[in-house]
Amino acid sequence: MKMEDMPLSGPDNTRLEALVHDIYSELVDDACLGLSFEVHRAVKQGYFFLDETDQESMKEFEIVDQPGVDIFGQVYNQWKNKECECPNCKRLIAASRFAPHLEKCLGMGRNSSRIANRRLATNNTMSKSESDQEDNDDLNDNDWSYGNQTSPRRSKSLKHKNGTYFFRCRHYNYSSGINYETLGPDEVRSVLTTGCVMPRCPGRSQRCPQHTDEQRRAARVFLLGRPPPLPDVDAVMESDTFDIPDGQSLMSRLQWEDSPDVSPTDSASSKATCCAQNEAKTLRSRSSAQKMVFIENKLNVKHCAPPRKLYSSRTRYALFRNTAERRGEAREAARGGQFEDVMFGHF
Amino acid sequence: MSKDSQMRAAINQKLIEMGERERLKELMRAKLVECGWKDQLKAHCKDVIIEKGLEHVTVEDLVTEVTPKGRALVPDSVKKELLQRIRAFLA
Repeated sequence: MKMEDMPLSGPDNTRLEALVHDIYSELVDDACLGLSFEVHRAVKQGYFFLDETDQESMKEFEIVDQPGVDIFGQVYNQWKNKECECPNCKRLIAASRFAPHLEKCLGMGRNSSRIANRRLATNNTMSKSESDQEDNDDLNDNDWSYGNQTSPRRSKSLKHKNGTYFFRCRHYNYSSGINYETLGPDEVRSVLTTGCVMPRCPGRSQRCPQHTDEQRRAARVFLLGRPPPLPDVDAVMESDTFDIPDGQSLMSRLQWEDSPDVSPTDSASSKATCCAQNEAKTLRSRSSAQKMVFIENKLNVKHCAPPRKLYSSRTRYALFRNTAERRGEAREAARGGQFEDVMFGHF
Repeated sequence: MSKDSQMRAAINQKLIEMGERERLKELMRAKLVECGWKDQLKAHCKDVIIEKGLEHVTVEDLVTEVTPKGRALVPDSVKKELLQRIRAFLA
């Protein structure tokens, strides 16, 4: 690695030293040049004087070393107890709950649309129940009492008294069926019109699967106090003008449970309750829209009843004929009860 | 003297070829930063710049200002060490 040996004579030595010094000088000059280029670039790019600030700014951003305060001098939990006014609903919300509340309030969060849609769905199906043919759900009408007008949903449904449905979309309670004692005359009329007449039967259809036609007929006789007219077209006209017996006599007949005639009914309805409860469990876990579809499908299978709207007797008869044809000849054998159910379903 | 200059040229070439020159340069820079020579000189530059005006400073200005001062400000220890290394290399 070494240079070839130079003779170390006197003059050469000095020359060597001179050489060494020269080399050294070159190195120093290189360093100086490097520095001046660096500085010149910094000046021209504008970052040469960055580390110099005035005294004022220096004092402002001085590091703070006090207890209860961070190094910038800010108190870290001063927003804990503050309340903010929501711009949407004008309520005072705690600061830590403000963001989630806004999410729900403005409808912009991840879950807020789900909740809103669910609410909309239930409202829609409420108003949709007028036109809906099928039973929307097998409901308990325990909480459905005549005088109770508190919630808007109840008042809405009570208005539809023309043989259409009383609707409960949320409370799928299958533990008991229609409770006649709590109903007023108008409601009874509608129930007898649209739902299964058997007390405690949750079925909303006139032809609910838990009871036979004979049972229904007996129930009608019992409740209404007269045997149903003979099955012909004229009788259909009569049925239109039928009026409900006054409340007292009706209520007195509603000691259904004690009557021996009714025991098969009871067992049937208790069985129905069991099955219905199982259904309720499945249904409860689904959305209201799914529930509608489910129930409709179920009832479609079991009930090939004619449309539930209040038609004229002629129309009803025609419809009955159509459904009978669809069902085939086999069902015509049971025409007796079937026919009168259809005919006298609307009083 | 041409022999001398020839010799110098040869030595320089050797220095470069063997990478010694680069190594010496890096060593020099590190030492000067370490001893604070660089900061001193930078401060001097600042004065020059303020004097001359920020917008009108040129490289030549800076160089003519910096070099003599820089040479003077190199500490002796650094100088001695470097000279020794060069001599060692040449020997």
